[in-house]
Amino acid sequence: MQTQTQTRTKIYTVTQVNSLVKEVLDAHLPARITVKGEISDWKEHGSGHRYFCLKDEESVLPCAMWRTSFAGVKFKPANGLAVVVSGNIDLYVPQGRYKLIVEEMMPAGMGALQLAFEQMVKKLEAEGLFSDMHKKPLPKYPQRIGILTSESGAAVHDIADSVHNRWPCTRLYLYPVPVQGPGAAEAIAAAIADVNRRNDRLKLDVLIVGRGGGSLEDLWAFNEEILARSIYASRIPIISAVGHEVDVTVADLVADARASTPTKAGVVAVPNVDDVLSDLVHQEKRLTGSIRARHDISCEYLRTVLASAVFRTPLLPVLNREQHLDDLAWDLGDAMRTVFIRTQKLMQDYYEQVARIEPHRLLGRMMVELNELKSRSLAAVTRVLSNRQLKITAGENRLAALNPKSVLNRGYSITMNKQTGRVVRTAEDVQTDDLLMTELANDNLIESRVTNKLKRDLTAETETPDASDD
Amino acid sequence: MSERKYRDEINKLTFEQAIHQLKDIVSKIEQGEIPLQDSLDQYEKGMALIKHCRGILQKAEKRIEKISREEPPEQEEDSAPLLKE
Repeated sequence: MQTQTQTRTKIYTVTQVNSLVKEVLDAHLPARITVKGEISDWKEHGSGHRYFCLKDEESVLPCAMWRTSFAGVKFKPANGLAVVVSGNIDLYVPQGRYKLIVEEMMPAGMGALQLAFEQMVKKLEAEGLFSDMHKKPLPKYPQRIGILTSESGAAVHDIADSVHNRWPCTRLYLYPVPVQGPGAAEAIAAAIADVNRRNDRLKLDVLIVGRGGGSLEDLWAFNEEILARSIYASRIPIISAVGHEVDVTVADLVADARASTPTKAGVVAVPNVDDVLSDLVHQEKRLTGSIRARHDISCEYLRTVLASAVFRTPLLPVLNREQHLDDLAWDLGDAMRTVFIRTQKLMQDYYEQVARIEPHRLLGRMMVELNELKSRSLAAVTRVLSNRQLKITAGENRLAALNPKSVLNRGYSITMNKQTGRVVRTAEDVQTDDLLMTELANDNLIESRVTNKLKRDLTAETETPDASDD
Repeated sequence: MSERKYRDEINKLTFEQAIHQLKDIVSKIEQGEIPLQDSLDQYEKGMALIKHCRGILQKAEKRIEKISREEPPEQEEDSAPLLKE
């Protein structure tokens, strides 16, 4: 029974189960299935593999895309982007989980390349690579033009013809580059950098980068970032000339100028030689015309100068000067005469003025004035003198009253010591036996001798009154 | 004849420089900015410039030379000829 049960119920290992499920899945699911969904949970692993989910309204499908497969995706997948992917369902045995292993991915609704193009345009535009600010001016009259295109394509001849038909005097330099397929963008970018680096020797005025028409895939190199950045970095101006009129590439947007096709490159790159020649003719006419006009004007001026009186009669200035001198001589004579006459008249006037003065009458008038002054001063002097006389008499009287000798009349006397000749004022002025001279009124004098010197209350021999000298 | 004295100077000019100088001379003479004697010199120079420009325009190169790729200078010890037909 037990063995029966054992044979009836087989026991599997986990690995066996997972492997069994994988076999069933591999056997019954189509080898390649295509699924449409929206990307979510997008992860870029360091290994280069991408892990994400596809989802619709109800379900989620885990997906993986290996590095080698992802290299073929031109656009940038992102969460929320609707895509159509192809691949196979695989079960990862160690974990018992299945995944869609994606081999191809396309954007839903539009071509992958179209999306990639739009994404690249958006990115570079945001960086300012297309800004007019960065566009270099093209040379007006290029003498050396570099052409970067395929050596084997028709584009090189289209470009060369379109340039040379308008402007045959320029030299063209072809730098052969692959223009499609893997590595083409890198090769063109490297060529642009190479030419720039060597341009001190190559001396190219402008570069034309392009190719003929083709599918979007064929033109793809011209949408790649590496080429766009190389065009942007070029110091030599670059004209793009890619595909047909309708094709617009990233290279067209970043280039300094765009020719819609290689056959239009000439129109953009070079002037029309006929226009330039006729401009030269025009310049020549202007130059010749203006120099002729200048010449004519100068000739006319010269004629005018020669026709002037100076050149007709060279002596005229001398004659003119002589005449002027004569005029001056005349003027001088006239002036002298005038001065003479005026002076004469002036003298006559003075004479008459002097004669009109009549000195005798003047003298009489002065005599009268003098007499008057004389009598007036005499009267003044007399008056002053009599005033003075009165004052003198008064003074005399007052002076007489002050005469010390006048007191002699009133009984005073003046005693002098004959030895010393001094007036005796005190007893000390005399010695006993000195001779004294006493003056009395009316010039009477008496001589006496000192017999004794006493104090008051004793009999005084000699009278000694207080008196001063005259 | 006296164009000769400008020839060396002018031959060094690019077409663009020559045209520029020419237009400059024409407008200067037209506006009477320069004295008569100078204007005669400038006229001669202008005519020489025109001749130089015509010479350039009449050179129909009509050929394409090929530039060969050159390795960057680090590796460029024995460099290949710059241009070859």
